[in-house]
Amino acid sequence: MAHILVVEDNEIMQKLVAAILEREGHTVTVAPNGKEGLDLLSVPEPPYDLIIADIMMPYANGFEILNKVNKSEGRRIPVIIVSNLSNEQMVLEGFQLGAADYVTKPIMAGELLLRVKRLLNSH
Amino acid sequence: MVEWLLPYYKDIGGLPVVVQIALVFILLAICFTLLAYFSILRGRYRGYVRAKRQNRLNPIIDGLIVEHIVMNEALNKAKAAEHESVAMHFQLPELEPKWARQLLIDRIIDFRKNIRGTVGEALRTLYLDLELDRDTQRKLKSGSWNKKVQALNEYVSMGVPVADVTLLPLTNSRNRELRSAARHAYIKLSRNEPFKFFDVVSDNLLMWDQVELFRIITTTEKIVIPNFARWITYSTNKSVVSFCLKLVVHFNQTAAIPAIIKLLGTKDHYLRADAISALGKLEVNEVEHDLVEMYNNQPLNCQIEILKALGRLKGKAHLDFVKKEFLHASDFEVRKNAARAIVNMYPSGSPVVEELLVSATEENQLILRHCMNPLIKH
Repeated sequence: MAHILVVEDNEIMQKLVAAILEREGHTVTVAPNGKEGLDLLSVPEPPYDLIIADIMMPYANGFEILNKVNKSEGRRIPVIIVSNLSNEQMVLEGFQLGAADYVTKPIMAGELLLRVKRLLNSH
Repeated sequence: MVEWLLPYYKDIGGLPVVVQIALVFILLAICFTLLAYFSILRGRYRGYVRAKRQNRLNPIIDGLIVEHIVMNEALNKAKAAEHESVAMHFQLPELEPKWARQLLIDRIIDFRKNIRGTVGEALRTLYLDLELDRDTQRKLKSGSWNKKVQALNEYVSMGVPVADVTLLPLTNSRNRELRSAARHAYIKLSRNEPFKFFDVVSDNLLMWDQVELFRIITTTEKIVIPNFARWITYSTNKSVVSFCLKLVVHFNQTAAIPAIIKLLGTKDHYLRADAISALGKLEVNEVEHDLVEMYNNQPLNCQIEILKALGRLKGKAHLDFVKKEFLHASDFEVRKNAARAIVNMYPSGSPVVEELLVSATEENQLILRHCMNPLIKH
């Protein structure tokens, strides 16, 4: 089972995503804002197999998380970005910055799990 | 009781009238300031109590939702309606008071805003199984408009249908917020005729109302779109007709074109301008000739819409007419829109544009260049 970092400022989304992933046996670490997410990724070898990051967050947004992952040396951690339905432009920008996949809010548990599974299998 | 005040009263009685009046005003000001302070303190205390209750109950509610709904394996295997009700886990003494039930409703809504699918459906089932819809219904029957708005928002968030007889009168409420929430709820919750309230709208749909309604209509999933020609033909409310014209264009409803063409004969020139604009946007080439024929008898706003429509229709038959308007009209807006129409009539308009860039007056050339710039919209 994988270790997944969830970077999300919405308290309910944190609980939902963590519960959905933990139900499948994954280990979840939650960062409540972008800055803490960046801090967790600043260690030499971040122990995460996957990152799920919201785009709109205080202090540092999802794009900064993507930039951090892009600049890090060693293995590249896949990132799933989470956005609102209306943020099409931001999703495109996320893909240009190297996001592996995206999910829209409100999320669907089954869809999220399938996307996570697909990415974990391919990396 | 007020004996201690008497000496002061006697003293005040001996003062000049102006000073007495000033003293009354000062006393009144002090009373109102105190009242305002008490009201602020009361509001803050209520907020403090609410926050305290939320801090105590929200983790309990979240824990129950996560444990019995999100983590519930059975939900993934069966449809929400088929699985065993999880409501019994929520029947705790802490969740019995009215305020606690309201917190539970708010929390279920917050969760439902973030998750859809089976879990979203299970949250709705939980709301109904716990009979929280009765609390919502009570709020809808309350005399306070903000309680009614709250109830409507709860119904919309939970996708619980409301009877037309309850909702329709509220769509015409004198209170703007209630009216808007009721229209929103009607569109979202009515299964068969989400636009029926157009039949009973008595006041004007303001521009802001139209923007809000447009957003709701175009973002609601599985909405039944009617033929808007019905209101274009029969509605006596001009703002409804104007709004329906915009919806016809958005949904590219070609079945409504005959009704829009009939509207060209209306006496209201604002509505006529909207109809001309809709015909241009729908690219109804059959009306090109009629538009040119009626042009000279129209007020300025209709003339401008006709020129815009001709540009959208791109027919070369009336290129000379548009060119004449560009060269000879005295009104700047007419000349600008004629220039834009010629530019839009690509490719038939291209030789005319090239000719005008050489032969037209300096001012007209400037207008033409302005219209040729794709970065400038107006």
